[in-house]
Amino acid sequence: MAHPDDIERMGGLPHWEPENVIGKMTLGTLLFSHDYRHIAIKGMLTSVVMLALGGLMAMLFRTELALPDIQFIDARPYMSLMTLHGMLMVFGFAIPLVISIMYYMIPKVLGTERLLWARGAQWSWWMLIIAAVLLVISRPDFTWTFYPPMSLRVVGDLAWMGYVAVILVALSEMIAGAVLFRNGLASRGRFRKMPLMGWAALSEGVLLMLSTPVLGLVGLMMLTDWLEITAAFDTARGGSVMTFMFLFWFYGHPAVYLPLVPAIAILYTLMPRFLGKPMWSYWSAVLAFGLLTMLSFVVYPHHFQPAETVSGPIQRATQILTLLIFIPSTMHVFNWIATLWADPIPVSAKRAVPFKFILASIVFLILGGVTGYVNAQIAVDSDFIHNTYWVPAHFHAMFVGFVANMAMAGVYYLYPYFTGRMYSQGMGNTHFWMWQIGIFTKVMMMYVLGYAYFPRWVVDYLPLPQWAVPQLILTGGAYLIGLGFIVFVINIIWSASRGKVAAGDPWPVEHDTAASPAAAPAE
Amino acid sequence: MENALGLGGYQAIMMTVVFALGLLGIVGLFLAIFWPQRWRLKYRIEVGFVVLLLGLAWYADARSTAIFTQYQSAIRESGVLSGEPTAPTGKFDRELKVIAFQWGFAFLTADNKISRNAAIVKPGEKVLFHIFSNDVIHGFNIPAVGITSEIEPSQEGSAVWIRAPQKPGKYLIQCLNYCGVGHAQMKAWLVVEGTEESPEA
Repeated sequence: MAHPDDIERMGGLPHWEPENVIGKMTLGTLLFSHDYRHIAIKGMLTSVVMLALGGLMAMLFRTELALPDIQFIDARPYMSLMTLHGMLMVFGFAIPLVISIMYYMIPKVLGTERLLWARGAQWSWWMLIIAAVLLVISRPDFTWTFYPPMSLRVVGDLAWMGYVAVILVALSEMIAGAVLFRNGLASRGRFRKMPLMGWAALSEGVLLMLSTPVLGLVGLMMLTDWLEITAAFDTARGGSVMTFMFLFWFYGHPAVYLPLVPAIAILYTLMPRFLGKPMWSYWSAVLAFGLLTMLSFVVYPHHFQPAETVSGPIQRATQILTLLIFIPSTMHVFNWIATLWADPIPVSAKRAVPFKFILASIVFLILGGVTGYVNAQIAVDSDFIHNTYWVPAHFHAMFVGFVANMAMAGVYYLYPYFTGRMYSQGMGNTHFWMWQIGIFTKVMMMYVLGYAYFPRWVVDYLPLPQWAVPQLILTGGAYLIGLGFIVFVINIIWSASRGKVAAGDPWPVEHDTAASPAAAPAE
Repeated sequence: MENALGLGGYQAIMMTVVFALGLLGIVGLFLAIFWPQRWRLKYRIEVGFVVLLLGLAWYADARSTAIFTQYQSAIRESGVLSGEPTAPTGKFDRELKVIAFQWGFAFLTADNKISRNAAIVKPGEKVLFHIFSNDVIHGFNIPAVGITSEIEPSQEGSAVWIRAPQKPGKYLIQCLNYCGVGHAQMKAWLVVEGTEESPEA
């Protein structure tokens, strides 16, 4: 039964008046203001810049991979591009963008009216920027997982900057987690009436605050190992690779949920807003957030194959828990589809570009999520999954298909609120379709390549038809995503000065009363 | 093809489950968007769906564990991972010691003959690979027989076994873990002796 407060606690109401916030910002407010909107806009802008940088790198190495053999990038610059692409996209784009959107929404959605501990959000941003600069200068070529002892031996003189960057990323994310947790605790309604974004803020806060200290520790130990002060992870000097694996992936698996949870929170906030109805089930969503948070800390050994000496019980427990984490994600999807099914979808929603991105993101969460069922199984993992393209197919469906699509839904939704104008519908639709076709092509070709045992992290490959053809098509899909991004950038710049002026509620709910059947009765 | 892991039928079932669940979700979503009929689903439907997922999780765990335990039992019985030098146990037609290094593989036979980047076997043989790394983490994958292993630098090493293909030819062996700039070139060949010598993936 729907709760009387559902409309309030599950969105459904406009929260701001359209205003040209961004036009009134100066360089000073952009860099140092503690106004939640300024901090959020700053985070969104830098995330888009990181997306541009990471995307450009992807275009370069995708062009290289379009054909077998080495065309124009050698192995070392290729791996630098690949490493920076992964780090910028995860640490610089996906996680900060959805957290910035949460910063924008939290004060109004949770009723705090301002971002509590805004100073912390400010510090978090500065640390991330310094980390990104260090990473770009050092150009590490050790992949985003920087497995020792490889990463201690094959990188250049500036490798220390990469490890310092990892420590700064950990600090930045930990502080962001504290900010979100603090705001989640202060949410109006407390636990019985808390908006779902509040539950997500608590979940994200716990994930960040518990996992990032371990990442910071790993970064510090890698730095001291690299400087030859310690030998914690270098087997040649008495260290243990398995210790690294367990420590790194204790952060690394929750890290998968760091962009996912805010993206889910944005979806739970926007869907009722566009439908003008509460979600199908409030407590199902709360339970799913709780289960996802708890399970995300105990499934991490599935990212590596534990050494024979520790494998038995750990592998079995990990397999069971990884199979179970499938369930809360499915509960979220079930909730969204049930909500869409309950009542006629307003014509205003069907027209809105952010709503289209929401629907597409659900498709990709399904496409990425279902394969978790086989990924979890040790026997299948030991055949074609472990470190083949099947893995990037899975996480690109989740990160690009779900998180990036949801981030775009959030940016398009907030756009009239911080520019005072509407985006161009035509360019928005073009961006939408270019992305969906491009992402779908990319993800499916990666699955095909993974099933054909195409190895990760290779600049060169054998000219086998089962590898060469999907790689060529995959590159085409990546170009389409790149073109869509250019259309998006043109849209947000052009529309900020020439778009239709937004007044009142930019997202009024309009039903096609003639065509819509009556809503089904509530349970 | 049924490989050493015995994945043929089981893997097909699991992939069918994945396909069916994905299709169910996407069809459900598209119906919710485009079909005019509306339903307010009862909460117990979600409970039932979760119970179904629990059942699928139980089934996957049971099958995967049974298959992988059976696969590993042959390795355990051979004693190669006990840390002590072992003579061929007779459980396998051929036992090869493999040194994975930056960036290649070396194969040592029981009579200490070494082959750089080629493991020579006969059609259909049960072959045990006892793999060591003394530098960085490597991977060991033979696509044609469907086996993948991750090898951390250690004294004990890792072990996998395969059934060699029946068809003579050269079959790719490759590293799947990033191990430095030469990773893409870290390949070897499983050479199945016979008259036909065409490269296979």
